[in-house]
Parts: sequence; C-alpha cells; structure tokens
Amino acid sequence: MAERYDAVVIGGGHNGLVSAAYLARAGMKTLVLEQRHVLGGAAVTEELYPGFRFSVFSYVVSLLRPEIIRELQLPRHGLDILPLDGTFTPLRPGDGPKGPRSKDVAGTGDYLWRVNDHGRTIRELRRWSATDGEAYEEYGQLMVEMARFIKPILGITPPDLTRLDPRPLLPLGGLLRSFQQLPERQQAVFVQLMTMSAADFLDQWFETDPLKATMSASGIIGTYLGVRSPGTAYVLLHHYMGEIDGAFRAWGIPKGGTGGISNAIGSAARALGAEIRTEAPVERVLVKDGRAVGIVLRDSGEEIRADVVLSSLDARRTFFGMLEPGTLEADFEEDIRRFKFRGSSGKVNMAVDRLPDFTALPGAGEHLRGAISFSPSVDEMELAYDDAKYGQFSKKPYIDMIIPTLVDPTLAPPGKHVISCFVQYAPYHLAPELGSWDDQREAFGDAVVDRIAEFAPGFKDSILFRNVQTPLDIERTTGLTEGNIFQGELTLEQLFFNRPAPGYARFRTPVRDLWLCGSSTHPGGGIMGANGRIAALEVLRSLGRRAA
Amino acid sequence: MTTDRAYHAIVVGGGHNALVTAAYLARTGKRVVVLERRGHLGGAAETGNLGGVRVPRLADTVGRIRPSVVKDLDLRAHGLRLVAPDVRVFAPQPDGRAITLWADQARTVDGLRAWSTRDADAYPGFDRLVRSLGTFLAGLAAETPPDVKAPGIGDALTGLKLGRTFRGLGRHDSHTILRVLPMAVADFVAEAFETDVLRAAIAWRGVRQSFLGPWSAGSTAILLGDGAGNDGGAAGQTVFAIGGPGALSEALAAAARAAGAEIRTDAEVTAIVAHDNRVTGVALASGEELLAPTVVSGLDPKRTLVELVDPVTLGPTMRWRAANYRTPGVVAKVNLVVDRLPRFTAAAGEDEHVLRGRILAAPGIDAIERAFDHAKYGRVSETPVLEATIPSLVDPGLVADAPDGTHVISISAQYAPHRLRDGSWDDAGRADAFADRVVAVLDVLAPGLAASVTAREVITPLDLERDYGLTGGHPLHGEQALDQFFLWRPFLGSARYRLPVEGLYLCASGAHPGGGITGQPGQNAAREILSDSKRRR
Repeated sequence: MAERYDAVVIGGGHNGLVSAAYLARAGMKTLVLEQRHVLGGAAVTEELYPGFRFSVFSYVVSLLRPEIIRELQLPRHGLDILPLDGTFTPLRPGDGPKGPRSKDVAGTGDYLWRVNDHGRTIRELRRWSATDGEAYEEYGQLMVEMARFIKPILGITPPDLTRLDPRPLLPLGGLLRSFQQLPERQQAVFVQLMTMSAADFLDQWFETDPLKATMSASGIIGTYLGVRSPGTAYVLLHHYMGEIDGAFRAWGIPKGGTGGISNAIGSAARALGAEIRTEAPVERVLVKDGRAVGIVLRDSGEEIRADVVLSSLDARRTFFGMLEPGTLEADFEEDIRRFKFRGSSGKVNMAVDRLPDFTALPGAGEHLRGAISFSPSVDEMELAYDDAKYGQFSKKPYIDMIIPTLVDPTLAPPGKHVISCFVQYAPYHLAPELGSWDDQREAFGDAVVDRIAEFAPGFKDSILFRNVQTPLDIERTTGLTEGNIFQGELTLEQLFFNRPAPGYARFRTPVRDLWLCGSSTHPGGGIMGANGRIAALEVLRSLGRRAA
Repeated sequence: MTTDRAYHAIVVGGGHNALVTAAYLARTGKRVVVLERRGHLGGAAETGNLGGVRVPRLADTVGRIRPSVVKDLDLRAHGLRLVAPDVRVFAPQPDGRAITLWADQARTVDGLRAWSTRDADAYPGFDRLVRSLGTFLAGLAAETPPDVKAPGIGDALTGLKLGRTFRGLGRHDSHTILRVLPMAVADFVAEAFETDVLRAAIAWRGVRQSFLGPWSAGSTAILLGDGAGNDGGAAGQTVFAIGGPGALSEALAAAARAAGAEIRTDAEVTAIVAHDNRVTGVALASGEELLAPTVVSGLDPKRTLVELVDPVTLGPTMRWRAANYRTPGVVAKVNLVVDRLPRFTAAAGEDEHVLRGRILAAPGIDAIERAFDHAKYGRVSETPVLEATIPSLVDPGLVADAPDGTHVISISAQYAPHRLRDGSWDDAGRADAFADRVVAVLDVLAPGLAASVTAREVITPLDLERDYGLTGGHPLHGEQALDQFFLWRPFLGSARYRLPVEGLYLCASGAHPGGGITGQPGQNAAREILSDSKRRR
C-alpha cells in the first residue's frame, strides 16, 4: 500500500534540501528523493582519485543566504566555511602596468593581486594606475550601497505585472519607494548595473586592463555571454552581497568540499523530521484531475502519495521529463521550450604533486590561497566568448582556479594538492565539425592545461590525475539540462517575473500542488538556497500554515 | 548690444528634430531662432551633390517620420512628397537566391514558401506580433517619460495611460513584450523562423547603426522601436522623400519660418551661457551673444553638456555621467553614382522592380555577428554588412541632369568603428580601402557594378563627428542600448527633455525615444518646453 506524505521533494540538490527543511520545520511530513547515491546535486564532494576528494562541480560558496544558515542552524550541522583570501591575476612576461610605469616591468612579467586587506589592494592598484586606486575606493563604497538596495529583491516573490490583482505588486511598491530615496547618482548606477555590459560599466571607473578583465569575469560565470554583452554588469554586485551580510567569510570553500554544505542542510532537514532517500530516481509526477497527487519511483514503480510535490529539477526536466505528455497547455509548453539553457562552462579537476609556479610571482606564497584568475585582458576574455558563439570551446579560456587543499589539507594526502578549475567557454552545442563532447573532452582538457602553462610553465608535469567535466558530463551526472549550472540562463529576459515563464514566476506551475523550488525560479542559480526557501514559504502560505 | 535681439527660445542646431521643435514653439507665437553651424540645414537629413547628380548624403529614407508631425506642421503644404515602393527589402544571397519582403504580406508569404513552408506560415503571426508590440512602443515614444524622483499627477496619468495600453496588449502580448524587449534579436527571430537568411533580413534592423551584434541583449528593443509609429511591421518601412531627405528638412524649415521662426546658418554656437545654474543665452563663434531664457539643444547630449556648458555650472558628477554617455559609432556611408542600373543575379531580371526598396547584404545571423566581432577590437569588418537604396529609381529627378541610365546608390556600411585600434580614419587610403571593400561585396551580388561607378564619396565615422557634429560619429546621438533607453535616455533624471541646467532642453535623438528620422523627440520636447513656460507665467 502506497505511503502518504504531506510533501514530496524531487531532487536532493541544495535547493531541494532547503525546501524540505523548511517544510519539515513547519511540521509537514516531508520526503526528499535523490537519484544519485550522494546528496547535493551540483554541490557534491567525491573521491575521484584515491586519496583526493574533489568538489566535482560547484566549488566555492559566496551567496548562501545568511538567514538560511541561521534559521536551519547549519553550523550546528557541520557547516564550516573556510575563507579564501584575494584574487591573483598572473600575466605573461612583458605584460605590465599600462602608461608610464610599463618600462619598469617590461620583460619581467607582472601580476595583479587583490586581497581582502583593502589598504594593500589600493597600494597594489596605485602601482598600475594613478587614478584606479582612488576609483576603487569610490567604486567599492558605491557597490556596497547598491548591494544594500538590491538585497531585498532576492527575497521577494516576483509579481505578475499582467494580472490585475495588486497585492503581489506591493513589494514592488516598496522597492520603488526605496529606489526614489536613493541619491540620483546611485539610481543611475543601479540602472546601469541592470542593463550594461560588465566591461562598459567598469570602463567608467578604471583604466587597468587586467583589473577590468578580472572584475568583469564575475559577470560571465555560468552565462553564454561575453564581458561586453549587455546585462553582465549586474553580477558584479554579488561580490559585495557577502560584505553586507557582515562577513567576507561568506566567500570561501566549505570544509570537506561543497558536499559539506549539502550534508549540513541534509542533516538539518533530517533533524527537523524530513526523510531523505538516495538512489531513488523519480519516474514521473502523478497527476489526477489537474492536481499533483504524488510521484512514481523509476526502479520499483512504487507510488508515493503526497498533498504537494516540489520539484528542484530545472523547468525543462520537470515539465517535459516528469509529466505525462498532454498534461500542460500548448502555450505554456511553448514558453518552457523557449526557456534557454545553453550551458557554457566546464570544470577541470586535477590532482597534483606540487603547487603551480607562476613566472609572474614564483614560489608557493599567499597568492595561491585565494582565487587565481586567468584573465589578463578584457580582449582575451571577449575573444574566448567569440569562440563559443560559433560552437567552439575557447582556445584560450578564462579559468578561475582554486587550490582548496591550501585551506583544507584534509582533501588530499600530505604534500599533494587538489586543483579546481572553472572554465569558460565550453558551449553545450558544439559546431557540427567538432562532433560530440565525447570526442572533444580531452582536447578541451588540454586547452585548459596549456592555458595554465602559459603562466606557470612546468604545470603539466605536476599533474597526477585529471578529470574533465564538459557541459554534457554535467548534464549526464547531475541532470542539469544542457549542463547549465544555473538551471537556465541568467539573462535579463529570464529573470524575475519571467523566470522560468511569464505568469509562472511565483513557484507555482499550471499543475495544482506541483511547485518548482530549484534555480529555474527567481532569483536564479548559485548556491544561495534562496529559491528553495522562498518556494517552501510560498507553499506553506498557500496551505495556510505558519513557517514555524 | 545684445538686448534688442532677445528671444523666447534659442534652438542650437538645425537638424530635423531641432526644426520640429522650433516650428512647434513658433506656432504658439514664441520668438524663436534656430542656429545652424553649417551652411545649410537638415543635419543628417540632407541631399548633397555628387558627380553632377543629387544624392542622399547620410539618411536615405524618411519613413519613420511621425504622421502627427507631418500633419501638425502641414509639411505637405510646405512641399513634402513621400513615395513608398511596394517592395520593402530585397536581400540577395551569394547563391543567387533572394529573400524579398513586400508591403503586401501575402506576397511576402508566397515568396517565403520557396525557402520554408514553416517560415511562410509563421510570417503573418510574426508580422502581427511586431506590429502589436510596435504600436505599444509608439504610444510609449509619444509620451514624456514619467518623473521617477517626484511623480506628479501628470506622471500618474501617463502611468495609467501606459498601464492601460499595456493591458490592452492582451495577456499574451504583454507577457511577450516583457520577455522580448531585453532579448538578443537573434533569439527573437529564431523563435519564429528557421531560415537563417530570413532571420538575418529581419534581425538586421535590431543592430542597424548600433554597436551591437544580433547576439547582443537588447537588440530586440531596437527592432521593435524601428517599427513603432510607422507601417513597418516585420518587413520594416521604406519611404523616400522626393528630392531626397533634404526635402524633408526644407519642408520643416519652411513650416518653422511660416510660423515665424528665424533661422540662421553659418552660426556656430560655442557656449551655452548660464548664471546661477540658469541659462541666459548662447555665445556664437562670431563673438556675438544671443539672450533667451530657454535654450534648446538639437545636438547630442555629450556635445551639449561636455563641450558647450561650463563644467562648474554642470558640476563634477553630472559631467562624469555626461562624459560616460556611450557614443561608439560604427557606420560609414558610401555613395555611388553609376552609369547603369546594377543587375543583381538574384533579381532574375526584375531589378527595375525589386531594387526600389532597401537592398540588404547580410547573408546570415552569424555573418552579421562576425562583422560585429571586428568592431569590438577596433577593426573594420572584413565583410561589412550593407544596406543600400537606389532612390533614383523612385525619384528620377535626382539624376535629371545626368545621362540616361545614371543612378544613385546610397550605402550604409557596418561595422566601421569610429575608434580604430591602429591609426585613424584620416590615414591615407584608409577610407578608400573600406569603400573598395564595400563595393566588392556588392559586386559579388551584382557583377559589373564596380565597373559602372562614375563617382563615389565615402563618409567615415570621423567625418560624421567632424562635419555633422555627431560625437563618436554616432548617427543616433548615442547608443540606443538598454542602458540609454526611455527613463534613462540620455540619463536617469534628464529623460524629460530638461537638462540639469535650468532652462536648458534637449530635443533631438539623444532624448527619448531616440534616433532615426522621426521628429518624435522634437515634438515631445516642444510640448514640455511649452508646459514649463505656461507654469512660469
């Protein structure tokens, strides 16, 4: 006889687990079903090579909502975020500060190194430019102001502007009022952030090319856009969100890898009474008279009944993979078909027997303890994107390298290291002449290693093991459609009240009692947990329950 | 010595929007003077001379001019005659086939069947959508953007009106417009059509004259704006003024004069004079100073604020914002006189007929994008995208004094960035090398065209800046991307035609709803100036 639950959550990614925790917290009998043997979806730690544990996909945490850490008491459940300090941008021999100083460094190879110590960063920038140091201070203050204004948006449920019901518009009214209270210059900067390209936006302040290139990189992470594409400026803000949460510690790597976050949330959910099953792939959602009434498990064919079903899968997998054809109206299906994924990022995980040695700053110093950004110039960033536009992976890709073993030695045997490389661009749809990613996987891996060797000769020889995750691999393993790490492109037309479809940005779906709680919903991707939390609160509100 | 010639309003610049504003102001009895730096009026809407015939120098068609402007100012009585050929776009392909978009939708659909039945069937729906969204944007364009800072009753009314038109779109279209406005035009056309060359023929209007490629976000808004307030639809408008675009400027000038406006050419304004943050008049290159409580700039906002207003008056923040207003020009103009009508392979002998609209050399979405890629790095496109017209086909008067068979070909070529990575447009042979490239592209599609050229002129983005006063050589007075749009065109807080100096107004393409020959900014600005002057009384 089928078991019965108040709520079933499909998918044990961080959002699914957050939703489950909040539902259980409100006293609902909640079940989480994860297809894999590990919890976490794209936030998992796995031992890909004996003795080396990797954050296989997602590798840093910067946006995990503090209210979630607090309300679910995640530290008690083992969440420990180790801070990363600074961003190191190595340059090739000959590249150096523009303008009068260039002769001082010509031929030696230079670098740009920003650290959490503001004063040191300013001094470093003065080395490059007479004005960028001052501009950086002004810029930083402005961004913090902006982040303070934007933050509430991440926490509201998007209204449907085309409905006459004014109530959902109220939070928008509040936003408009707080917008009106901003000084005009800040209003203008906010508009620019929402509409400009990262490169154009930064051009207004800075002249140092590697600085603009490295900062603008945060605007293209996970997108199929270049640093000169309108709409990429907004993400620059995310780097300042952490600060206003009262600690830059919000940016770092979880002890034990990103799986550490998933396990902490999972343990919190269990403690609150939720039941979690792994290796339990869901076949489809049971729909009766237009309402979701439960799910069917793939392997056993077992039916599990529930009052509400939440899917943390992306919109396409939920609506086209989990429902009988014909359940949805053609118009809605068309909207979901239009929702763009187009994964553009790859991941290269490596085990090495020594640390990389950069010509720009030889030796194993502090500069390796933060992010190492392969972004020497804005043009090189944009050229990497040009390749992707025509279905090629970047010949000279942008790489965000982290060496987690420097802050968490438990991840590898003594003296050895784990290296995590987030890489763009690796377009999911390759040009026909390239064939499939199964043919290009290692060629892509080689391009990444060669790129690193440009700045750290000898790196190749240090590699003990290499694991290349193409968008196709990400899709196969985690189920993320087209390998898009945000469950759908974070382009302007796919944000807020358009995410995932106009009229359905409020976590509800056309099928009654079926809800979305993953990154396909507002406010989008990244290890934020906001989607899972807001979705759960919406479900509880609709059931007239208190969030406890 | 200046007191005796005090005016109510001084209009700086004699481009089409400036003339529209001057005419509307003069009609209410205001003493208005228009000051044009050059020897003749019209700015980008002028008819020039080349090899003994008359050619549209920059703009070649005028189909976006707002009907309300034509009517209010009675431009037909002042000599304006418009011709709209029944072909809108002819897009010949290297393989000898062509996409042809006609004013007559059914005819377009028939032609598309040869390419794709699916696309032929999709076209009417797409045309309807573009018209519906364009109509909404036309409503938006005719309104003054609301005041964000301190909304008044008027703004509330505007808001309501817009809200109503918005809901009037219906649930489906209102959803659609929210979704597509910020979208890349390549994605927008791909939602409707499968044929790449058809996608390109339509998407082109989303990047024309902009530092954008079809894959750039926001290009859909430009496409829809192009069809706003005219009969464009999916095909886009193609309307010629008899006598060339200069004839439109002459009609506008005649209307302004008839209404009592004074118009002076060879009168360059070197400064907008202000005391205590309030304009008092302008200073001319001649040393002469003219007084007026209202100064209206028909120049682009950057030139107006950075070049003509005293930095102390403007203040550092506003000057910073004005200096960062984006004006990256990418258009060069190549005008040709040919001794015979070109024979396009894809026209299959129908040249007489199909060449009357816009001729488009944009052989695919990626082809346009690749042409754009060069511009991002300060290089000119290896294979520029071209939009050409042959106005002498519909307006033989242009070549009346030339031997039979002579025609004029007016070509806009993209991408030719104003700021070049290496050197300048002044370098010997640079402009001609680009023009050769342009002619070569056409010669592939119309063999023999190159040999038929008897006269040629090249207008580079640098010429646009120097001769026409367009900062950065930008024909639209600045990018029309999402960051310089509606409430924030040219800047948030200055979108209501009032610039940050009391009594100083902006009436041209740098203001909402932006560039192109529409007369809309001029009409809107005049309305705001008049309402302010009422309030003052």
